[in-house]
Amino acid sequence: MDLFTLVFWILTLLWLLFSLKKDKGKTLKAIKMSSGMMKHMAGEIVAILFLIGLILTFLPPELIREFAGQANSLLTTIVFALVGCITLIPAFVAFPLAGSLVSVGTSIVPVVAFLTTLTMVGVVTFPLERKEFGLRFTLVRNSLSFVFAIVIALLMGVIL
Amino acid sequence: MNKALHFAKNNKLLTLVAAIYLLLFIFQPAKAMLSLGNSLYYIKEMLTIMPVILLLTALISAWVPTSTIEKNLGKNSGWKGAVFSFLLGSFSAGPIYAAFPVSKTLLQKGASIANIVVLLSTWAVVKVPMLLNEAKFLSPKFMALRWVLTTISIFIMGYLTEKIVKPQHLPADSSQENTGENTISINREYCIGCALCTKIAPAYFKMEGKKAIVIKQNPGPAALTLLQAAREKCPAQVIKM
Repeated sequence: MDLFTLVFWILTLLWLLFSLKKDKGKTLKAIKMSSGMMKHMAGEIVAILFLIGLILTFLPPELIREFAGQANSLLTTIVFALVGCITLIPAFVAFPLAGSLVSVGTSIVPVVAFLTTLTMVGVVTFPLERKEFGLRFTLVRNSLSFVFAIVIALLMGVIL
Repeated sequence: MNKALHFAKNNKLLTLVAAIYLLLFIFQPAKAMLSLGNSLYYIKEMLTIMPVILLLTALISAWVPTSTIEKNLGKNSGWKGAVFSFLLGSFSAGPIYAAFPVSKTLLQKGASIANIVVLLSTWAVVKVPMLLNEAKFLSPKFMALRWVLTTISIFIMGYLTEKIVKPQHLPADSSQENTGENTISINREYCIGCALCTKIAPAYFKMEGKKAIVIKQNPGPAALTLLQAAREKCPAQVIKM
C-alpha cells in the first residue's frame, strides 16, 4: 500500500471510530447505504477490471503510442472526449481504466478529456436532463462541459 | 436458466467480458492467462482502496449536513450560494442524474441557474472519495491539478450558462400533481437502487430489479415517521408523499 492510501485509511478509520462512538445507529445505517450503492455497481466494477487485463494484453503499446501517444494531437483528444460522452461506467472504475491506458503509453491529454466528459457530459441522461431543465439549459450545459473538458485536458498536458 | 438470463441482462458488460475470457481460454489459453495476470494487479489495488472509499462515502453521508447546505442555496445567496453548491456537490453520493431532482427542488426554492450548474458539475466530477481513487491510480499530482482546473472551469461554466439561459427558458413545473394525502410514490427514473428505503421501511418498499417500488399505500400514523425518515435519507430524493 502506498503512503497516500495508507494516510487515508488511517484518517478514515479514526473518523469511523469517532462516528461509532458518537452515534452507532446512524453510522451503521450510513455504511449499509453506501454498501448498497456499491453492490449496485459491483457487476460493472468486476467487468471493467477484467477488461483492463484484455486491453493490456491485446493493445500493443507501440500501437497506442502511435495513435494516442502525442500530447499535441487535438484529434485524438476530441475522439477520447466523445467516447467519454457516450460511455456510461461508474467514475469509480474509470480511474483504474485511465491509469492502465497511461501505463501503456497513452498521453494524459486524451485521458483527462475522457475522464472529464465521462462524468460531466451525459448523452444517455440527456432526455432526463431535458425533461427537468429544458432543452436550452441542457444543450448549453453539456456543450460547455465538452469544451471545458478539452481545455482542461490541454492545460494539463502543458503543465504536467 | 431463467435466472442466469436475468443476471446476464442486468450485467451486460460483465457477461460480455466473461464470454470473451471463455473463448480466449478455449482458443488462446496463454493470452487468457496473461490477461488474467494483468487484471490481477488492478483487482488487488482496487481491493486496497474500495473499502476506504465506501467508508468515507458513508461517513460523509452521516455527518455532512447536506440539508443545512441546501437551506443556504435560496434567493440572493450570491457568491456564498456558489460555494454552498460546490460543497453540496462535492459531498453527495450517486451519479449525476441523482442530482436532477435535488437541483429541481433548489431551483423552485430560488437558487440561481449559475448555482445549479455548479451543483450538477461538481456532483458529476469532484466527489471527495473519488479524488482518493484518482490519486491512487493516476497520481496525487495529477488529481490535484485536475481538481484545480476543473473547479475553475465549473465556476466559469456557471457564469456563462446564466448569461445564456434565463429562468423563462426552464420548463414550467408539471410534477406537482395532486395525489391523495397518504399516497407514496417513487420517481423510478432517478432511483439509484441503494435499497436504503427498503431497509428503513420494509413494509412499504421493495427492490424490483435494480430499482425500488412502493408495495403498500395508506400508512398509519405510526408508519409515517418511518416513511419520513426514508424520504429524507433517500440520496436521490425520489420518494414523494
